[in-house]
Amino acid sequence: MIPLSPRRARFLVSLAPTIAPDVATLDTAGRARFESIVTRALDERPAQVRRQLGLLLDLVRFAPLLRYGRPFARLDAHRQAAWLRWLEGAPIVRLRAGFWGLKTLVYMGYYGQPHVWGSLGYRPFSRASSSGRDPGAERDV
Amino acid sequence: MRNETYDIVIIGSGAGGGTVAAALAPLCADGVRMAVLEWGAKLGPEDLTGRELEMARKLYVDGGAVLTRDGAITLAAGRAYGGSTVVYTGTSLPIPERVIERWSVPGLEWSDIDQRCRKYLAENNAHLLSEELINDNNRLFREGCERLGYRVAPFPINTHGCLGSGLCNLGCPNGAKRGTHVVQLPQAEAHGVEVITHCRVTSIDDRICRAVVTPPEHGEASRWEPGEYAVHARIVIVCAGALHTPALLLRSGLGSKLPALGRYLTLHPALILVGEHDRPIANFRGHPKSYWSDQFLDSHGFVLETCMYFPFTTAKNLIGFGEEHAELMRGFERLQMILVLANDPARAENRVTVDRDGHPVVDYTLTEGVLDALHASMKEAARIFFAAGARRIHAPAGVTFFIEARDEERLDELIPRSNVLPGRISITSAHIMGGCRMGREAATSVTDAWGRVHGFDGLFVADASLFPRCSEVNPYVTVMALADRVAERVRSDARELLSR
Ligand SMILES: Cc1cc2nc3c(=O)[nH]c(=O)nc-3n(C[C@H](O)[C@H](O)[C@H](O)COP(=O)(O)OP(=O)(O)OC[C@H]3O[C@@H](n4cnc5c(N)ncnc54)[C@H](O)[C@@H]3O)c2cc1C
Ligand code: SF4
Repeated sequence: MIPLSPRRARFLVSLAPTIAPDVATLDTAGRARFESIVTRALDERPAQVRRQLGLLLDLVRFAPLLRYGRPFARLDAHRQAAWLRWLEGAPIVRLRAGFWGLKTLVYMGYYGQPHVWGSLGYRPFSRASSSGRDPGAERDV
Repeated sequence: MRNETYDIVIIGSGAGGGTVAAALAPLCADGVRMAVLEWGAKLGPEDLTGRELEMARKLYVDGGAVLTRDGAITLAAGRAYGGSTVVYTGTSLPIPERVIERWSVPGLEWSDIDQRCRKYLAENNAHLLSEELINDNNRLFREGCERLGYRVAPFPINTHGCLGSGLCNLGCPNGAKRGTHVVQLPQAEAHGVEVITHCRVTSIDDRICRAVVTPPEHGEASRWEPGEYAVHARIVIVCAGALHTPALLLRSGLGSKLPALGRYLTLHPALILVGEHDRPIANFRGHPKSYWSDQFLDSHGFVLETCMYFPFTTAKNLIGFGEEHAELMRGFERLQMILVLANDPARAENRVTVDRDGHPVVDYTLTEGVLDALHASMKEAARIFFAAGARRIHAPAGVTFFIEARDEERLDELIPRSNVLPGRISITSAHIMGGCRMGREAATSVTDAWGRVHGFDGLFVADASLFPRCSEVNPYVTVMALADRVAERVRSDARELLSR
């Protein structure tokens, strides 16, 4: 289970396809892998990082109330993107870096899955393909 | 707490530690007992799967997710039997004379360093790759530079039997890269040096290294049982890398006597840039790094190198999100990649400190000059991509996600300096240097030109933390050359130090 409050964890999962649209194409097993990668990454970070992420998720979710009069989930796709772009170039380095960290977590959950590499055309081989040791052919993350 | 006793203890087994271990190993024949204490694991071929997240966890400090305090720069350092040499790309350059002159460390001559660099270039089999091992990613860089009239040179690479699997930064699955895990550490062990893996030194206290051995999550088990150890040694050589050597010495209380400890950290800040071609160029087949250009080193303070990164690393280094980002990633096999490395000044305020738990914390501010260099590099890399035939490029400071080839004339307008914001663009460092800089006095440096820590007999440093300033070129050969000097000094001081 993603080590955030259930509300924040649900928001993170719902936000993911806005950042990495192909997350929406994942099947049940792919979504489970996404969550397990994100869970493990957060479990391995200090508690302070998880707290900061929780606060950032609240900001992404509720600060649009001040700017647009609605929370993030009720903005149209255009405004959602505009809000996230603002965060990406925000005037405070901590905020920009925080948003970069959030994106990185989502990209890790998706692009860190060897199962999606084929769809990118990434076909690495380690020793000899015939030995079955293709990193992309492996099934566990 | 268990006790162990050696004559010489080396902490860390990377470019510095591995070199010192091999250079001192012949002393074992005279009965000198020597151990290398290494935090990371010794991996076997079956551990090297080439899977990005798994290998990052097995081979990098904190899984490769170390950030500066402000979160603006990601720092990559290896943690393994062989240290960062297990994950480096193996580009092997000696340090230029002008850099050693700029370092201006009393007693450190370029001719001495250069001769030692040459020794390790030969020992590690640094050579130019044959044309059939040059993949499209590299060939296109060379052609792009040539078309623009930019200087471009092949990189000496330290491989033997490279199969071109492109996984160098995830640990070579073919044993082709000649890091210390392949060359120097086995040499040292053959002479009788003991290498203790999964062993993290927590502090050094009057020639006693306090260490913790943990059960293995992967790789070979340690020679020692899990538990806490007091390791007694007459000579201690710290080679834990530029993040962890200063942190270890600070944890050990040396900061009060050495005000420069942890300071003057340089990062050789890097950007990963991509251009997209119409056709697959499969940059992940072949050795990833065969060419570089120093065309802008004197004028703008950066070099350009070929590179290839894996899907997650590439994704996080692109600016933006959403459909355009996904579209670029779906074209992964069509991507050409260039790495920028910017020279950064050595400033006292850029430093390693330790938090309450003793973990390193890095404070680092990118200067306007470095940001200018990164900005200029984005435009020059874009020109090289287009000269090589790319249909469009992605510049982290671009006003649009893609810049099309037809807009090449408008690069100045499309890549504004005002968009080069730390935290917004993804900046990384794999060349962490300084923190225990060499120099004459304890007020402004940590060691002398031979790695002897000022005021602490028998305590040496032999790793990238010795650099007083940025190396301006890929640093591992210089680390080995400096470590070789430290080993020479230890050998000449050994009789006196070991008889205490
Ligand atoms: C991804 C990557 C690619 C690179 N590519 C190149 C390249 O192509 N060419 C080049 O010239 N340079 C390259 N470098 C840089 C080069 O690898 C480093 O500059 C060099 O290895 C530094 O040597 P070092 O001895 O200071 O540290 P390291 O080689 O990092 O070794 C330090 C060792 O100390 C251990 N350690 C840390 N703390 C403790 C502790 N408390 N107790 C016990 N052990 C500890 C670590 O586990 C590690 O094994 C690359 C680096 C990286 C990360
Ligand atoms: S490209 Fe060569 S050196 Fe790099 S991982 Fe593959 S075989 Fe090893």
